Amino acid sequence: MTVAQRPILEVKNLAKNYGGVQAVDGVSFTVERGSITGLIGPNGAGKSTALNVIGGLLSPAAGSVVFDGVDVTGQPMHRLARRGLVRTFQLARVFGNLTTIENLLVAAPSHRGDSAIGILAGKRYWGDQERQMVAQARELLASFGMTDREDEYARNLSGGQKRAVETMRALMMKPKLLLLDEPMAGLSPSLSRQLEDMFLKLSADGLSLLLVEHGLDTVERICGKVVVMAQGKVLSEGRMAELRTRREVQDAYVIG
Amino acid sequence: MYLGTNLLAAWGLNLEFGVAGVANLAFIVTIAAGAYAYTIFTIGSPTSNGNFQQYVGGFTFPFPIALAAGIVAGAVVGVLIAITGLKRLRQDYQAMAMLVVSLMAATVVSADTPFLNGNAGLVIFPSFAPFSDQDPEVQRWAFVGIVFVACAGAYFLLRRFTAGPFGRTLRAMRDDDLAAQAIGKDVVRLRLAVQAVGGAFGGLSGALLVAFISGWSPSAWAYIETLALLTAVIVGGMGNDRGVTVGMFLIGILILQGVQFLNDVPALKALESYVNRTGLTHDLGWIVLGTLTIVFIWLRPQGIFPERRPRYGGQTS
Amino acid sequence: MELLIEAIGFGLAAGAVIALGAVGFSLQFGISNILNITYGSLMTLAAYIGLFLIDRGVNPWATLAIAGVIVGLVSVAFQRWLLAPLARRGTRPFAIVIVTVSAGVILQYVILAVAGPETQSYGDQGGQTFHLLGVTLAASQVAIVVLAVVLMLALHLLLTQTTLGQAMRATSSNRILAQSCGIDTDRMSDVTWLLSGWLCGATGVALAITTAGFDFSIGQVFLIPMIAAAVLGGVGQPYGAMVGGLAVGLASELAAAYSNPAYREVVAFAILIAVLLIRPRGLFGAAWATRRLMA
Repeated sequence: MTVAQRPILEVKNLAKNYGGVQAVDGVSFTVERGSITGLIGPNGAGKSTALNVIGGLLSPAAGSVVFDGVDVTGQPMHRLARRGLVRTFQLARVFGNLTTIENLLVAAPSHRGDSAIGILAGKRYWGDQERQMVAQARELLASFGMTDREDEYARNLSGGQKRAVETMRALMMKPKLLLLDEPMAGLSPSLSRQLEDMFLKLSADGLSLLLVEHGLDTVERICGKVVVMAQGKVLSEGRMAELRTRREVQDAYVIG
Repeated sequence: MYLGTNLLAAWGLNLEFGVAGVANLAFIVTIAAGAYAYTIFTIGSPTSNGNFQQYVGGFTFPFPIALAAGIVAGAVVGVLIAITGLKRLRQDYQAMAMLVVSLMAATVVSADTPFLNGNAGLVIFPSFAPFSDQDPEVQRWAFVGIVFVACAGAYFLLRRFTAGPFGRTLRAMRDDDLAAQAIGKDVVRLRLAVQAVGGAFGGLSGALLVAFISGWSPSAWAYIETLALLTAVIVGGMGNDRGVTVGMFLIGILILQGVQFLNDVPALKALESYVNRTGLTHDLGWIVLGTLTIVFIWLRPQGIFPERRPRYGGQTS
Repeated sequence: MELLIEAIGFGLAAGAVIALGAVGFSLQFGISNILNITYGSLMTLAAYIGLFLIDRGVNPWATLAIAGVIVGLVSVAFQRWLLAPLARRGTRPFAIVIVTVSAGVILQYVILAVAGPETQSYGDQGGQTFHLLGVTLAASQVAIVVLAVVLMLALHLLLTQTTLGQAMRATSSNRILAQSCGIDTDRMSDVTWLLSGWLCGATGVALAITTAGFDFSIGQVFLIPMIAAAVLGGVGQPYGAMVGGLAVGLASELAAAYSNPAYREVVAFAILIAVLLIRPRGLFGAAWATRRLMA
C-alpha cells in the first residue's frame, strides 16, 4: 500500500516495565489516518504508560513505534512533536506565567525568531511571521470562545479553560497525530460535547487522534476503532458498540 | 565602574534564572573564569615576571583579544556547569548542587597551585593594563567608558534574547519544561545555550573587573558573591531586565558604597571601637543583603518590577 | 599499612561527627521537605556558644548538651515562624532554599561581627591519647565516637519503640495520610526540628572539640560533607545518613592520606555531585522518595 494509505501509527510488541510491574506487555495496534481511535481499559491496564511510551516520555523496553512510515522508537518528546506527533497531558499543563495567547504562540513550530540568526537579527526578521502567528492564534481562541482571555496569565484560568488552552496549543503545532490523555476529564458535559464536535471536525480535516479515555460515552460517540487494554495487553479491538457485547471486555471491567 | 561589571553579571544571572528558570548558583565561577582567562592572556610568561607566581599559560595579548578570551572562557564554563546540572532534579536540589560546585571550584583552584597560583591568586602588573601609558585619571575614565560601551552593547544583545519569541520559549521552559518538550522545544539544547550566553556575560564581567583591579584570587569569588547577585535579581524583579538593572543599582550603590558612608557615622564608629571590631560595616553589608532577600521573598517575591505582561496589539478578531 | 589503618581510624572519628550532623539534616528534610542550609551556621553558633561556656569553666560535655538545646529551640522557631508559613503559601522550594542560605549568611556574619574573625579554640581538650590497633586517637575523639553511637542508638529506639517516634516516621513518610490518622503533624514537625536542632548544636560543639581551631566559617565548611553524607544515604533517611557519614568520613581521610591533603574537602563535594547525578535517591532512599527529588 502507498504511504498515504498506511496507518499513521503502528505500534508493535511494545513493552515497558515500571517499578517492577510489567505495565505494558507486548501491545500492538494501529491507528488509521484521519481516524479517531480510542484506547480504553480498566484502571491499571497500562493505557497511560503505553501513551507515554508512544509519546516519547518513556522509552520502551522492547517493541517499536512507527509514525507516518518512520521508525521513531525511543525518540524524545520534542523530536516527535516536531515530526507531528503531539501529546497533551492528563493534568493540563499550561505555562502559568505566560498569557493565554503566549501559550499558543510559543507552540508555533519553526518560528524564525527561535533560531540563532533570528534572535540576533531582531524584529525585522521575524516580525511578519509573528503577525501571522498571532492571527492564527486569535482564530483558534475565537473558535474555542476564549478571545476575552487572550491577555490573561494562564495560571489564572479555570480548569476547563486550561484544558482548552492545552488543546489549542497542540493544534497550533499543526500535528498529524494527536495523543490525548483523558481530554474530557473534569469538563462539564456541555464543554465535553463542544470538544467532541471539535475533534470530529478536525478528524474530518485529516487529523488523526488517539485518545485514552475513561468516559465511554465520549468514546462511543467519536471513536471509530477502539482498542481495549487490560493488565498490560491488548484484549480486544473493534467498534465500541460491538465491544460492549463481548464477554471478555465486560469481564475486564468488572475484574479490572 | 563596579556597577557596570556587576550589571553585566546580574543580567547574565537573570537570563539564566529569571527568564529561563535555571537555578545556577555557581554563576560566580563563570565570572572567575573570565577573570582568570583575561589574566592569563595578558600576564606574560612566568619567568618574565620574576617567577614568584606559578600558573598555566601566560601570554601577552592586547586588550580586546584578552577580553574575548574572557568571554569565551565564561561561556565554556557556563556550559560545563550546565552539563552538571542537566539531570532533572528538583530546583532546590539543583540549587544546592550548584552551590557545591562553586565551592568545589574555589577549593580546587586554591589547592592546585601550579594551575592558577592557588590561594594567592594572580596579579597583573600595571604596566600590562590597557591605557597604562596614560595619566591615571584618564585611565580611570577610559575604563568607565569601556565598561559603559560594553554594558550598552550587552544590554542590546540581552533584549534580543529576552524579548520576542526566543524569550517566550525560555519562559515556557521555565514554567514547565515537560510541556515545553511536548511542543517541540529541545530543552537540553536551550539550557546549554542559555548557560553559555549567561556565562559569557559573566566572563565579560570578570574580565573587565580584573582589568581594572589588576588582581584576582579565590577569595574574590566565595559562593556568597552569587548570592549578592541573586539578591539584586530578586529585589529588582526576576525576569525583568529593567527591574534587574534597578535592583543592581540599589544593591550596588546602597550596600557596597553606602556601607562606606556608614563608616563615617559616629554612632557606628563608636560601636566599632566598643566591640573592638573593624570591618563591621562590611559584615553589616552582608547582613543587610541577606535580610533583604528574605524580606523580599516573604513579601514580594516578584521583585520591585515584576515581569511585564506582553500584549499583542492589533486587529480584533 | 599503618597509613591505611591510621586513615581508617581518623576516618571513623571524622565520620562519627559527620554522621551526627547528617542525621539531623536528614530528619529535617524528611519531615519538612526543606533543605535547611542554615544548618551550617547554626553549628557555628553552637561552637561559639560552647566557647562562651567553656571559657567560663563549664564542662565541655555539658556545653554540648546546652548548646544543643539552644540551637534546638532556635531551629524550631525558625521552622515554625519563617519556613512553614512560606511553605504554606506555596513558595517554591528553591525560594525556600535561598531563604535558608540567606539566613545562614546573616547568622554567619552576625557571629563574625560579634565575635571577630580570629581563630578560636577550646584549648586542648584532647585528654589522654589512646593507642588502639595501631591507631592513635585522642580521648575526646574516642568520646565523640562513643557519643555518636549512643545517640544513634537512642534515636533508633525513639523512632522504633515509642509512639512518638512512630508518629514522626509516619509524618515523614506521608504527611497527609498521617494527618488523617489523627496525628498532629504540626507538633511532629516541631518535635523533629527540636531534636534535629539539638543534634545540630551538639555537632557544632563536637566539631569545635575535635578541631584544633575554628572560626566563623566552620559550620559552612563542615556542612558540605554532612549534606554529602545525607544525600548519599538517602535524604530523609536517618539510618542512611549514619552510614553515609561513615562513608564520607572514611573516603575523605583515605583520600587525604594517599594524595593531597587539601583534597579532603573535595572528596565530599565529589561524592555529593556524583550521587546527585547518578542516583539522586542515595543508597537507601526508597523509590517513591524520588518523587520529592525529581522536578
